Amino acid sequence: MSSVMTQSLRDSHRGLAGFAVGTALVAAMYAGFYPQMADGAMAEAVEGFSPGLREALNMDDISTAAGYLGSSVFGIIVPLIAVIYGIATGTRGVAGDEEAGYLDLLLAHPVSRTRLLLHRFAALTAGAFLIAAAVWLAMLAVRTSAQLHSISIGQLTSQCLALALLATTFGAVAMAIGAATGSRPAALAGTTVIAVLAYAANTFATQIGADAARYASPFHYYIGGEPLKNGFQWADLGILAAACGVLLSIATVTFNRRDLTS
Amino acid sequence: MAVIEIEGVTKTYGTRRGLVDLDLAVSDGEVFGFLGPNGAGKSTTIRLLLDLIRPTRGRARVFGLDPRTDAVALHRRIGYLAGDFVVNPRQQVGECLAFLAGLRGGVPRQQVADLAARLDLDLSARIKSLSKGNRQKVGLVQAFMHQPDLLILDEPTSGLDPLVQQTFLDLVREAKAAGQTVFMSSHIMTEVEAVADRVAIIREGRLVALDTVARLRSQAVHRYTVTFAGPLDRAALAALPGVTDLTVDSATARFHLAGSPDELIGLLTRHRVAALQATEPDLEELFFTYYQRPDAKTAEAHHV
Repeated sequence: MSSVMTQSLRDSHRGLAGFAVGTALVAAMYAGFYPQMADGAMAEAVEGFSPGLREALNMDDISTAAGYLGSSVFGIIVPLIAVIYGIATGTRGVAGDEEAGYLDLLLAHPVSRTRLLLHRFAALTAGAFLIAAAVWLAMLAVRTSAQLHSISIGQLTSQCLALALLATTFGAVAMAIGAATGSRPAALAGTTVIAVLAYAANTFATQIGADAARYASPFHYYIGGEPLKNGFQWADLGILAAACGVLLSIATVTFNRRDLTS
Repeated sequence: MAVIEIEGVTKTYGTRRGLVDLDLAVSDGEVFGFLGPNGAGKSTTIRLLLDLIRPTRGRARVFGLDPRTDAVALHRRIGYLAGDFVVNPRQQVGECLAFLAGLRGGVPRQQVADLAARLDLDLSARIKSLSKGNRQKVGLVQAFMHQPDLLILDEPTSGLDPLVQQTFLDLVREAKAAGQTVFMSSHIMTEVEAVADRVAIIREGRLVALDTVARLRSQAVHRYTVTFAGPLDRAALAALPGVTDLTVDSATARFHLAGSPDELIGLLTRHRVAALQATEPDLEELFFTYYQRPDAKTAEAHHV
């Protein structure tokens, strides 16, 4: 049976495949540098950094596999790409397709606005989990060659699950802004600004003495509990999932209230 | 029973007025033409009926139901062609139609194939490779394919070549014969006249005329040429109510007359007339008078 969700996925399958393969390759490549880092070259370089900067960049224990992956692969590059996927997909899912005129046609069919949002959210989530799964597979593939055995498969899985929820959360932000405003630039720019601020809040909150700010950041719930060392952080994952739920509710209420732009 | 009822609907966009106190009713099985210049409020009205936008004041009913609360149930019974029909350009025509049919729980394949064949539409083509007219055909197929009780078509023939326009008019006639109701907007009067039972004309968000094409015509300005055999009383002619643009060329008088020719005939019986010619108003011209006239027709428009 064709549905709005499967169609959304089919329409974006090339882009999604590109994101998944690209993220996995980048993750594998960076993870592959670990053996060189582990022999102390990186630790020496980091010695020169101030303690504050080291803490901010999560580089305190750069020579352990979990420390290295947590600061490089899962600390910056992979979440960056996954969040970009989330923002792009969440923006297109409502505001982008609305501005392009596609939503007029869909919503003139027997498809309620709520159902449309749920399907678009489901497609976003499926895409985010696919990217996380690709990263997970890439990590497993290089696990031996990159000497990552100190990280268990469970710990790796927990970090990838958090990654999927992180991307979904920012996608839900973009959907909510798009659902409320119908404006593609507002959804895109608004969510990007929120993502940058959220990243900064998580990374530099301690340095600027605004420790509480990090608790408002999805990045904190993504990596603050250090899943690569501590395994599943169910409370953090629950908070990200709950945030998606709240954002989806906001999107549903606002989207049902307004006129579609033409 | 009225399929569409619009009662006192006003729609404002910020300070801009979309519709002003619009009243309209479309009966079951009727083909209804909705005419007006670009920006008059045709698409606004149509989008209200589909709950894509909501009225600022007043209410609309379709099949007696609220377009907002009963949207999904109503949309099952409606085929809609948007004024700017857009679909994902990367899809194939057949794929796109199958997806849209799937949203309606499926449509017989043969139905889609027959419509595509009649409109000479290639189902295997990519949408992005299609011309404007061929894309419009995709829009027509998806609107007609599930044989809806109500067809709402916004500028359905835009971009179509004359031959396909004829096929479209046939489709509308067949829909009417099958008991379907058709509500179509246009800015081309002749196309609407060919199929419409009644016509509404809107201008700047207000209804300025609502009647059959024949009656709209009868109320409009006719052009007269009268050649007198005897003396010609120019003053008496000029004094007739509704006469304008009077020119006299020896024994021949030419003028425009609005409304009934009754008083003209009374006058002419007192003269010897050699020849009389009344020209039907050109439809485009008639249409034009409604577009331009500020509010003269508003009062008449309401008692139909």
